[in-house]
Amino acid sequence: MAPVLPLVLPLQPRIRLAQGLWLLSWLLALAGGLALLCSGHLLAQLWHLHTFLSPSCPFAALPHVALAAGAVALGTGLVGAGASRASLDAAQYPPWRKVLGPLLVVGTAGGGGLLVLALGLALALPGSLDTGLEEGLGTALAHYKDTEVPGHCHAKRLLDELQLKHHCCGRHGYKDWFGIQWVSSRYLDPNDQDVVDRIQSNVEGLYLIDSVPFSCCNPHSPRPCLQSRLSEPHVHPLFDPRQPNLNLWAQGCHRVLLGHLQGLASMLGSMLAVTFLLQILVLLGLRYLQTALEGLGGVIDGEGETQGYLFPSGLKDMLKTAWRQGGVADRPAPEEAPPEEAPPKEGLPEA
Amino acid sequence: MALLKVKFDQKKRVKLAQGLWLMNWFSVLAGIIIFSLGLFLKIELRKRSDVMNNSESHFVPNSLIGMGLLSCVFNSLAGKICYDALDPAKYAKWKPWLKPYLAVCVLFNIALLLVTLCCFLMRGSLESTLAHGLKNGMKYYRDTDTPGRCFMKKTIDMLQIEFKCCGNNGFRDWFEIQWISNRYLDFSSKEVKDRIKSNVDGRYLVDGVPFSCCNPSSPRPCIQYQLTNNSAHYSYDHQTEELNLWVNGCRAALLSYYSSLMNSMGAVTLLVWLFEVTITIGLRYLHTALEGVSNPEDPECESEGWLLEKSVSETWKTFLESLKKLGKSNQVEAEGADAGQAPEAG
Repeated sequence: MAPVLPLVLPLQPRIRLAQGLWLLSWLLALAGGLALLCSGHLLAQLWHLHTFLSPSCPFAALPHVALAAGAVALGTGLVGAGASRASLDAAQYPPWRKVLGPLLVVGTAGGGGLLVLALGLALALPGSLDTGLEEGLGTALAHYKDTEVPGHCHAKRLLDELQLKHHCCGRHGYKDWFGIQWVSSRYLDPNDQDVVDRIQSNVEGLYLIDSVPFSCCNPHSPRPCLQSRLSEPHVHPLFDPRQPNLNLWAQGCHRVLLGHLQGLASMLGSMLAVTFLLQILVLLGLRYLQTALEGLGGVIDGEGETQGYLFPSGLKDMLKTAWRQGGVADRPAPEEAPPEEAPPKEGLPEA
Repeated sequence: MALLKVKFDQKKRVKLAQGLWLMNWFSVLAGIIIFSLGLFLKIELRKRSDVMNNSESHFVPNSLIGMGLLSCVFNSLAGKICYDALDPAKYAKWKPWLKPYLAVCVLFNIALLLVTLCCFLMRGSLESTLAHGLKNGMKYYRDTDTPGRCFMKKTIDMLQIEFKCCGNNGFRDWFEIQWISNRYLDFSSKEVKDRIKSNVDGRYLVDGVPFSCCNPSSPRPCIQYQLTNNSAHYSYDHQTEELNLWVNGCRAALLSYYSSLMNSMGAVTLLVWLFEVTITIGLRYLHTALEGVSNPEDPECESEGWLLEKSVSETWKTFLESLKKLGKSNQVEAEGADAGQAPEAG
């Protein structure tokens, strides 16, 4: 039953391992904390933008999983720092002896699993943002005029604030506003001939104009904002179509929001990757330290050499031991003596 | 008749020194916080110096920065002194410096209190600076072609959007100035010619506002032009319409922003001042307790610590007398020199 990946650890290398592990654990705690902050920030951004993302978009799962993974990584880092510090002090180590085993299992299974899941989501989910934003922004634009319909009365304010803050106009450009009715019917004069003509000019009876809301205006423009009659440039004095158009924001909100959220997701993904690497290193180091100190019987300052290993035997042997232990536990108590002789007999013919 | 006498045995002295050491290092942290608060305020004032005519007073942030640095220096020095106070050999080299150092600490505390008061009192000068600066800013709104002022339109627009305000006192301020550049006016149009002729200065005045005054919470698309003409817009009454434009003036909005900033900084500085006063009192007690150790060979003996050796009035009399003596000793020296010269001459 050869141990898996053994490593001989005399006293000095053990001490070095403990010290290096202490440093790595604090780095892991820092990385976990940063991942926590990143995912919190992404969650806050998603909460602000939830009207512009369709409800069926699964992107919101990423910051939640990353939050859990970051918290577990932070915990693992703190535990690792405590354990490596205790392993250098003979008085402090005994209480850690019992706890370290189960903690390592939880760290590997729970922490590693969550991190892998979070990394996978960070790679796969940003692709779904495109359709989610497309639907969400389309709905928001359609409900811009519904300032008196319960449930959609905030769409106008939120979309105006989005365009003002992110410096964008419409979904893909300012012409999106020409295709929808964004003026509420309550403020349309039914006696005005122009209004009647416009409503009758299309199949759906919408009041379509070649104007944009005020939030599309670009403050960098040297002239006061031109919002109306944009498809007839000759109406406005000194309008030169060859000059770069500083009048309105040129970008569409879809591109701006997509870039913003994808940037945040990729930053979170890189934080999670760094945390994952550090977590693997810390867990490996802790395992080697634990098995080396177990070899000495828990005596820290022993000068003797011990072996640290990952697993006491190969995977097959481990599974067999676990199976046998399960089988012994199933049998009733009085028959304990004979079953104890039976497993070694089974083991010998196989070996 | 010492002021506020306290008996100290060895243990108490050690505890006092250790407690003071810890408090001094917290105070260094507090000094760093005050430094960063001063820096933040300076940056905020700089960001908006365009609308304050570049004439705003930077006294408060500069003094906060200075006080923060001084606090760091003094408190780290005091921490070192407290650390050495437990070792008689090391303490001996600090002994002659402690009295002047304590005097400097008292002066520093007084200065800190003055700075705290300034934080609360700066509001008045800021108000007048803002009023003038915004008036000029709005006047130059249309000068987007004049070098040196071409950014004013962008600055005012972003200011009105960010602080949710319009004009100096309200949106009607925009009716009194020409905010549309002549370059974009069609002088062949009758309407433009009429408006220019209608006033003495030949300005194109409209009852309209820039787009940045618009309030996104309004249920109807923003009405920017012909604001006082009810018949120009369907179902519009300018007397009762409240949600269309921002109601606040930018002077009030900016003033309340900077006031709340300086008030919170003043509150933090006041807390730090109280902390510093406690540290100075503790240091004085430590100083007098260590001075009172009558037998330097026996560190275990008890001693007394006090704030002032005599009562306040006696200390003040002694201080005045020592000043007089200083003056008299100069006089005596002068007389002695004259008397010395006279016998020589005589």
